[in-house]
Amino acid sequence: MKKRGKSRIVEYIVTLLIIITLNFILPRLMPGDPFLFLSTDQGQDVMYSEEQRQQYLEYYGLNKPIIEQYVLYLSKVIRGDMGLSLYYNEPVINIILRRLVWTFFLVIMSVIISTIIGMILGSISAWHRNSWVDKILYFKLIILSEIPSFLLGLILLFVFAAGLNLFPLSGAITHYAEFDNGWEKVIDVLHHAVLPIIALSVTRLGGTYLLGRNSVISVLNKDYIRTGRAKGLSKVRIIGNYVIRNALLPVITQVFLSLGGLVGGAILVENVFAYPGLGHLMRESVMIRDYPLIQGIFLTVSIFVLTANYLADLIYVKVDPRIKNNSDTESQ
Amino acid sequence: MSKRSLLSLFLLIIFVFVTMVVDVDLIGQNVFAAENTGDYAVNTIRLSGGDYGYPSPYAHYPRGPGGYKRNLIFDSLLEKSEDGLIPWLARDYQVINGGKDYLFTLRDDVVWHDGEPFTAEDVKFSFEYGLEHPLVWSDLSKDDIESVAIINDNQVLITAVSANCSLLSNIGNQRIIPEHIWKDVDVPKEYNEPAAVVGTGPYILTDYNKEHGTYRFDAFEDFWGPQQNIKTILFVPVSEAILAFEKGEIDLTDVSPDLLGRYESNPAYKIVQQPALWGYRLIINMKDVDVLKDKNVRQALVYAIDQQELIEKIERGAAVAGSAGILPPDHVYYNPDVKNYQYNPDKARELLQESGYTSLSFELKVPTQSVRMAELIKEQFARVGIEITIISADTKTHDSRINKNEYELAITGHGGWGGEPDYLIDRFAGEELTGTPSALGAVGYNNEQLNSLLIQQKEEFNSENRRKLLYQVQTILAEDVPEIPLYYTSGYSVYRPEKYDGWMFMYDHHSLSHSKLSYLERK
Repeated sequence: MKKRGKSRIVEYIVTLLIIITLNFILPRLMPGDPFLFLSTDQGQDVMYSEEQRQQYLEYYGLNKPIIEQYVLYLSKVIRGDMGLSLYYNEPVINIILRRLVWTFFLVIMSVIISTIIGMILGSISAWHRNSWVDKILYFKLIILSEIPSFLLGLILLFVFAAGLNLFPLSGAITHYAEFDNGWEKVIDVLHHAVLPIIALSVTRLGGTYLLGRNSVISVLNKDYIRTGRAKGLSKVRIIGNYVIRNALLPVITQVFLSLGGLVGGAILVENVFAYPGLGHLMRESVMIRDYPLIQGIFLTVSIFVLTANYLADLIYVKVDPRIKNNSDTESQ
Repeated sequence: MSKRSLLSLFLLIIFVFVTMVVDVDLIGQNVFAAENTGDYAVNTIRLSGGDYGYPSPYAHYPRGPGGYKRNLIFDSLLEKSEDGLIPWLARDYQVINGGKDYLFTLRDDVVWHDGEPFTAEDVKFSFEYGLEHPLVWSDLSKDDIESVAIINDNQVLITAVSANCSLLSNIGNQRIIPEHIWKDVDVPKEYNEPAAVVGTGPYILTDYNKEHGTYRFDAFEDFWGPQQNIKTILFVPVSEAILAFEKGEIDLTDVSPDLLGRYESNPAYKIVQQPALWGYRLIINMKDVDVLKDKNVRQALVYAIDQQELIEKIERGAAVAGSAGILPPDHVYYNPDVKNYQYNPDKARELLQESGYTSLSFELKVPTQSVRMAELIKEQFARVGIEITIISADTKTHDSRINKNEYELAITGHGGWGGEPDYLIDRFAGEELTGTPSALGAVGYNNEQLNSLLIQQKEEFNSENRRKLLYQVQTILAEDVPEIPLYYTSGYSVYRPEKYDGWMFMYDHHSLSHSKLSYLERK
């Protein structure tokens, strides 16, 4: 077991190094540099002279040999320094952290909602396995979860925000509104978050539903359930105390495994709703060739995915003793 | 880890994030003071926002909306009105010694936002510090200014390296920053303290949120100048400006010509057309492409382009056709009598034949957002036997290709056409005057007569004589066609006059909300 843990960590470190290197190389393969502006959008005039451009390239060390830049970047990243954004004039880490909060907010809320609803629907399906309820749920949820989140987001935006005027068009909060107390503010934040969260949750629902259904079905076949039934326990008690509690394990593991992917999905949804998370920032940073920021965002997302995977690994081993036995036989 | 502790860990994480999200925005809440309209005509104006950086002269992003927010906080020696430069922090100025010296007499009733008095020292410091550490947006460089000297408590003498009549506006436009704050700042770009936005201007920054892209500016009560009309200016981000305008979320917006009908007959709205000072040009590589060195071919290209069709189909009519003399009709020095290339495919074919060409083919490089325009030009060129291959790329890639001269023909769109006509030097005489070919210039083009006229006009301080010289310059450019201005956009803005009606355009710029005087009382 220890051996395996060690080799896993080495694997993660190697993966991280490759990611860091790619993060460095890929943005620099794109033509153009961050301080060259010839064409602009209307009303967005840019004011750098060639002289200033050279000055900035020098200031940020972008005119040094590429290898030197790479070594410098590596030594900084190891110390946790992601550098200074070329466009936003702020340490990359601050910019990312402040937006990450919003992205996490969306992701975590939608994970909770989709897990709870998926689990409930999955249980219903499993309990009524092969009846019409099961079939309809199965069919509808599979269809629903195949719609890409940003497309669903657009539809929600048109119908509920622009059409019915029930929700705000964009943003995460009403700007310069005066709130009487903290609760009104919380409600305002939630009001803005409803549509993006729905968009993210619905896309995720199919997966949790299927997992929940399978998991519940396998638990339902267990001996202790039969015993419970034979003892004449109520349906609610059987489901609540025995089925859900046991069926939840694989679902929780799945939650951690899917967190990484969800951040990716959130980025698309954020762009649709102009939500101030990482998504808009990532798009912008690529358009303006803000190398340190591009590197920072991709690194953060990568670390997030890797951590989620690692946690999933750990938890899996903890909650399911069979994995431990298997891996022992594997390593022999 | 037990199931229960796992679950509580999960709940804890959720709790932390929800509080963080809510907390983040509570910062800055306290700036909401009690409503008090006081002497202001209008309490609050809301404008379309978005993040353009912390509006210090060093931290804002290099985009128009960032620079003009800075201008609300920081004054300059001169300011721009509808017609030209007006005295501002300098109550009087003199250009002496044949244009080498500039004597500014300063106002003595000015205080900084932090209460410190404004002095001649601040002006001297601003120029010296600003040349050592160039502002994000500045028209001056070390090569322009020889010295800045304090004559007495309220007079400053700025000596130029050489006489140049564009310098007055460039010097006059330099932001004046407080010495007592900036003198200890070594890396101004990274100085983001509240003190970095202390200026003498009419407005104080009272809130800024980077993630959301919101700004709040409040009138500075001890402002030396004209009374502010608006107490509070709010910039809030909008996803769809017209929808936000109609919902009352913002009070001024640009509107596409297709939607003008909604507002035209309604007295609640006022529509203004913007001066046409933002333009597209077709640039020509005369260095690497031999065919394009032939003036006949270049003239044929102009005749072959139907500018009206481009304007109708792309801008829905809201643009002014390009002048072959480069300076747009809304420019102060525009020459209306330059050679007029009306769309004339026959003439184009004739010119090509004269030079012995019956068919030609070029690559046309465009940024992705201009592909439609490129397609139209391709069709128009096809009518005179010129074949075009369109190559599009994202803006950054496109710009870098132009910069490296990796093009035959290319389209680029940008602002600044209303500025000092010195930009003609950068574009058409770059190599001769500065020793380095300008990145924006017409590569491979050289006309001795033009170069000498451009130098002369630069040193001509008599406005009428300068006009004559610039007219000649435009005549030559129209004949030589080193590049082809396609059109200058003149979009529309709409606002609610009963809410606020003080909007104005600076003489050289196309945006109402960018003008400082838009927010101040006018005589």
